Amino acid sequence: MPKTNERTGTRRKGMKRRVLYLSLPDQADRICSGCETCQMMCSLKNTGAFNPKKSRVKVLPLSVGITIPITCQQCEDPWCQRACPEKAIVKHKTQNIVVVDAKKCTGCMACVGACPFGIMVYDPEKKKAMKCDLCGGEPACVQYCPSKVLILADNRGSAEIRRRRFAALLANEDASARHNIAGAEQIKILPATLTQLAVSAAKQLAEGRV
Amino acid sequence: MAKKKGSYAGKILRVDLSSGKIEKQDLDLDFAHKYIGGRGFGSRFLYDEVQPEVAPFDPANRLILTPGALFGTAVPAASRTTATSKSPTTGMFGDGHSSGHWGALLKSAGYDMLIIQGAAEKPVYLWIDNDKVEIRDAAKFWGKTTMETDQALKEKLEDWDIGTISIGPAGEKKVRLAGIFSDGIMGAFARTGLGAVMGSKNLKAVATRGTRDIGIVDVPAFKKAYQDYLKVISVDPYVPPATKYGTCRFMYHRVKFGIHGAKNWRLGDFDWKPLDPEVFRSDYQIKASACPMCPVRCRREYRIPTGKYAGTVTKLEWETIARCMTCGVNDPEAVIYFSHLCNQYGMDVEGIGDTIAFAMECYEKGLLTDKETDGIKLHFGNPEVLMEVTRKIAFREGLGDLLAEGSLRAAKAIGKGAEKFAMQVKGSEMSAGDPRGMPVRAVSYATSTRGSDHLRSNPYVEELITPEEALQFFGSAEAADIFQGLKGKGRLLAWSENFVTIGDLLGLCKFAYYRSAAFSYLRQKGLDLATRFYNVCNGTDLTEEEMFQAGERAFNIEKAFNAREGAGREKDIIPERFFKEGLAGGGPSGGAVVDREKFDLILDEYYESRGWNEKTGLPKKQTLKKLGLQDIAEDLAKRNRLG
Repeated sequence: MPKTNERTGTRRKGMKRRVLYLSLPDQADRICSGCETCQMMCSLKNTGAFNPKKSRVKVLPLSVGITIPITCQQCEDPWCQRACPEKAIVKHKTQNIVVVDAKKCTGCMACVGACPFGIMVYDPEKKKAMKCDLCGGEPACVQYCPSKVLILADNRGSAEIRRRRFAALLANEDASARHNIAGAEQIKILPATLTQLAVSAAKQLAEGRV
Repeated sequence: MAKKKGSYAGKILRVDLSSGKIEKQDLDLDFAHKYIGGRGFGSRFLYDEVQPEVAPFDPANRLILTPGALFGTAVPAASRTTATSKSPTTGMFGDGHSSGHWGALLKSAGYDMLIIQGAAEKPVYLWIDNDKVEIRDAAKFWGKTTMETDQALKEKLEDWDIGTISIGPAGEKKVRLAGIFSDGIMGAFARTGLGAVMGSKNLKAVATRGTRDIGIVDVPAFKKAYQDYLKVISVDPYVPPATKYGTCRFMYHRVKFGIHGAKNWRLGDFDWKPLDPEVFRSDYQIKASACPMCPVRCRREYRIPTGKYAGTVTKLEWETIARCMTCGVNDPEAVIYFSHLCNQYGMDVEGIGDTIAFAMECYEKGLLTDKETDGIKLHFGNPEVLMEVTRKIAFREGLGDLLAEGSLRAAKAIGKGAEKFAMQVKGSEMSAGDPRGMPVRAVSYATSTRGSDHLRSNPYVEELITPEEALQFFGSAEAADIFQGLKGKGRLLAWSENFVTIGDLLGLCKFAYYRSAAFSYLRQKGLDLATRFYNVCNGTDLTEEEMFQAGERAFNIEKAFNAREGAGREKDIIPERFFKEGLAGGGPSGGAVVDREKFDLILDEYYESRGWNEKTGLPKKQTLKKLGLQDIAEDLAKRNRLG
């Protein structure tokens, strides 16, 4: 069985890949720091200038001290593609993903409204939609992330990462429940919320509501 | 082909709150390359526009906000904005520096500088939406805390990507220790009372939406420089503890030298164990977070899970811990809550901590009695008292009204010799560690142009320099000796001041560029790479020497501003206590005082190295001329303030 590449989370060539956010509770400092380097490097690579508004990855400040990067999930049957009335969202030349054909795009924003992850980006100047195209295979966001929490993973790799992450969350909860260690409550509260989120998201996915 | 756009936005925005006039003017690129940005722009405009006749709370005083020249690009740790004004604390040059998103958004909206003048009749806020600039009614926001204002503005304007700067209740009440807060509590222009200036103009907040590009000229060279920066920080032993503990790690530095300055700068030793960085990390830290673009990640937010202050979430830096120790408090939860209060009310933790410690010592010595303190027993080490007095200062209630004026003004009002307990330089409260035992540090607090400040000079250079390097750069191996060294110290100080000013011009963080474990890394980051980043972003070919001179130029303008206000050598002095009372406790600095003779010798060498008059402390004509500041030299000559 081929081994998963530790850095990229990739197992086999040709599989669908996406940029994923990975933070493990057992590595305290390996977490999104909210520095937004990914946003700037994305806009630099794709537009030649710095503008977080034109970045295909978004770092969301949820509350004081909590920031989560949202990335395009490169869906198998993309909602953005389905919603586009101009058929401007087309298959990528080499990769197994879809990209925006700027010539056909009319800027109607149907895809922006349709994306379940809210990560279709709209260029206010050119009035065109933009989406993550993995920078042709080497995403700038992954390359420059100082905390190394953005990774490029394929389907199987990402499932494995999710599994590891989920297990780590549960283990952490378990540990803090069993030992009344200092700060246990704090450890418990954050992952518990995340766990609930993960469970409800999984349910919704299963029921086809997302 | 048109020349590619660099990192400047290209316009200066001027808002007159009295008349409601909004003016946009082009930024002259020659001016920009000479003064670079940030502190350079701020000091030059303040010198030209605010004369000695203008009082800090006068509507004619300016509040100048200038993002660093590289802020808005992806240059690592370029995230600082400078706010400049005549300070209500010192009555001289005042500025503050903050991280946050607001500065980058101001540039994105098209402006390199925002100048606010005049004063509104009613509370207002400023809404900058790219080209559209409006002065709007802020009655609904008046009285809200900094975080509430940020949230309310974002809800009102229905955009969560905008940036804001705002003042809390303390700024509204013109508390001289109030600061301006960026994006809620993300950063603060805390020192020198700038929040009170904003309050005096009846300006509650500035909200900014910017959607334009910030340019860059040479992308491949930028990437190369970026990789080189990462290479330096990957080998620098300074970085891993910074990433691990944030600024709390400075506790170990304090412990190493025994310079806590606890209980109003009397004790070098203090029971610091409850405030161990490890405690903050394991029990309270939410995560290792970072300011925009920073790969070092030493920013920290903390959360109190249980107990009396349960649920408190706030940002906290080392100085808050240090200031709590000045008040004798060593309970980590109280430290976090104190930080929370200061952040929400919009106040400078350093000023507040030192002012309360001053009041506590006055109470101890009987200069303040229960009658004046509204019955509060102002004992050292009582967290309840610290919180209560902090709240009273923010709302100027009773005792708080007296202390809201800052320690020096409060001491003058109390009289009875209280002034010797006010630990301040030029009217601004002390910061950082105790200077006793470390002569150059003592001088550096005195020479700072905005009142006591360790970040103005970064005297820590002496700790990492080798005798060989000291001989090469400062003409004497003695400069590397922290405790005994004398020769070369003044030159080291002048060099260090110019050196760190570069960071304020470009908007680079001092922790990411101007602290290091070795002198060679420091020079490489702070001078070589900083200049390279500026050049690749703007297509210029500034040499390191020219960049260094730009730093020197900004520092000299500030000095000239203070000289014009009437400050000479007599103002470059530290509190009497440091000369007379030994630092209680063990450690390398235990029992030490600052030797007055040594202090003066270093100061002499410093003035000489700067090209200022040693007797009067005023800048000389040829020095200003050499820096291309002839007009300032002429202005000072007219007023008879040249050295």
